[in-house]
Amino acid sequence: MTKTKNTTEEQKLKILIIDDNEQITKMLTTFLELNDHECTVANDGSEGLKRIKENNHDVILLDLAMPEFDGYSVIKDLEENNLLKEHKIIVFTASTITKDELDGLVKRGVSAYILKPIDIDVLHSKLKEIAQS
Amino acid sequence: MLSIKITLFAVSGVSSFIIFYMGIVNFLTSIEETTGMILLIFSVFVATGTLLATVNISKNITNPIENLAQGMREFSHTNKSSKRNPINTNVTEIFQLNEDFEMMEQKVEKTIEITNDYVNKLKEMDRKKIEFSSMVSHELKTPLVPILGYVQMLQKDNFLGKLNDKQLDAVNEIYSATVKLQRLVGDILTTQKLDLGKLDFEKQKTNVLDILNSILKEFQPIAEERKILLEMNFNQSIEIVTDKDRISQVFSNLIKNSIDFVPKEIGVITIGAKDKGDEVEFLVRDNGSGMSKENQKEIFKKFYQIDASTSRKRSGSGLGLAICKGIVEGLGGKIWVESKENVQTTFFFTIPKK
Repeated sequence: MTKTKNTTEEQKLKILIIDDNEQITKMLTTFLELNDHECTVANDGSEGLKRIKENNHDVILLDLAMPEFDGYSVIKDLEENNLLKEHKIIVFTASTITKDELDGLVKRGVSAYILKPIDIDVLHSKLKEIAQS
Repeated sequence: MLSIKITLFAVSGVSSFIIFYMGIVNFLTSIEETTGMILLIFSVFVATGTLLATVNISKNITNPIENLAQGMREFSHTNKSSKRNPINTNVTEIFQLNEDFEMMEQKVEKTIEITNDYVNKLKEMDRKKIEFSSMVSHELKTPLVPILGYVQMLQKDNFLGKLNDKQLDAVNEIYSATVKLQRLVGDILTTQKLDLGKLDFEKQKTNVLDILNSILKEFQPIAEERKILLEMNFNQSIEIVTDKDRISQVFSNLIKNSIDFVPKEIGVITIGAKDKGDEVEFLVRDNGSGMSKENQKEIFKKFYQIDASTSRKRSGSGLGLAICKGIVEGLGGKIWVESKENVQTTFFFTIPKK
């Protein structure tokens, strides 16, 4: 619970958040900006994909379940263009997707997954881990 | 098995032959030629008559019965009336039998149709039910994300500012309620996965002693807080290939139940295991109020809570034991309970070693 803010040690990251739920993106932005990261938000998959292709982000947080153009479609599009492994993507899921399916995504080139509801301590440590890799 | 047709032809053939033979013998040995001839002609008539009668019986009785039997056989396999050879008979009883069978065929077909309709409707309803609850639990999880995120930020001094003690107390309460809600949603999702046969098991080599030790470590603080004695009655190294996390989940559900049921200050909960050759038998025993024989049968059903007066003290979802049963059976074992009311209750479950 007691974590001292130490910006000199922690890397400042440019993070892209792709989620259709504005309450979630707002909460994540609040948390990440308090950790001195820089956030961009995309509220649907197609906008998210456009932002990913700008190639301007260190880490991408991607929600799998979104209406119409969802997270799977984003991953598929990147895969087809051979871009998936060039980005560090953490996917979020709240659905009934099995662990095997999630591991399958990681095998295809997704960096990590976090189950909803998101534990911000888990998110923090995953970000750190991925940024350093 | 005896065939009417063969028997009929055999009997009539043999008797026709005997009559004919006797006619010939009579003719050869007879002193008076005319009498012998008359008897021979008579025997030929009788023998031919017998054979003709046999053919007639066979045509009107045994052939229709054979056709009818074949029709029944096909119907019982396919449950559909098939086109079969028309039944030609002048025997009233057989004609009637055929008519009745055709009527029965139609009725059975109709009934099967209605039943299939109901079955399909039920399947559709079940599918919608699963879809609905999957949607609900998904929708429940989504608002939990910002709730949990902000609460966790509030709990830390360095994010949204330092709270005073009363505020922090309130936030901690919100946090623990949120975690409970999250667990409930998780239980509902696990139950759905069990219903759909979609729960994953990750089997790996592990040791029974390690499993029990980590359970003990996890629950010791909670037991101490409630002044309950939690002890382990086991000290043996047994190798097992199974899903360690799922077994811990079973233990954790059972121990949480026991904690709710044992008397405070004198409550005792024992966990243990026994080597049973091809499998390991685990147990969780407590000196709680226990349950009646009827309850022992029912408690593994979903949403079952032991009568209203006890359930008021409990805050469970009624899914814990159903999940235990699903996991244990998914891993190839069995789960059951033995209880003496107000003395002790023991939950046993077996897990195959491989």
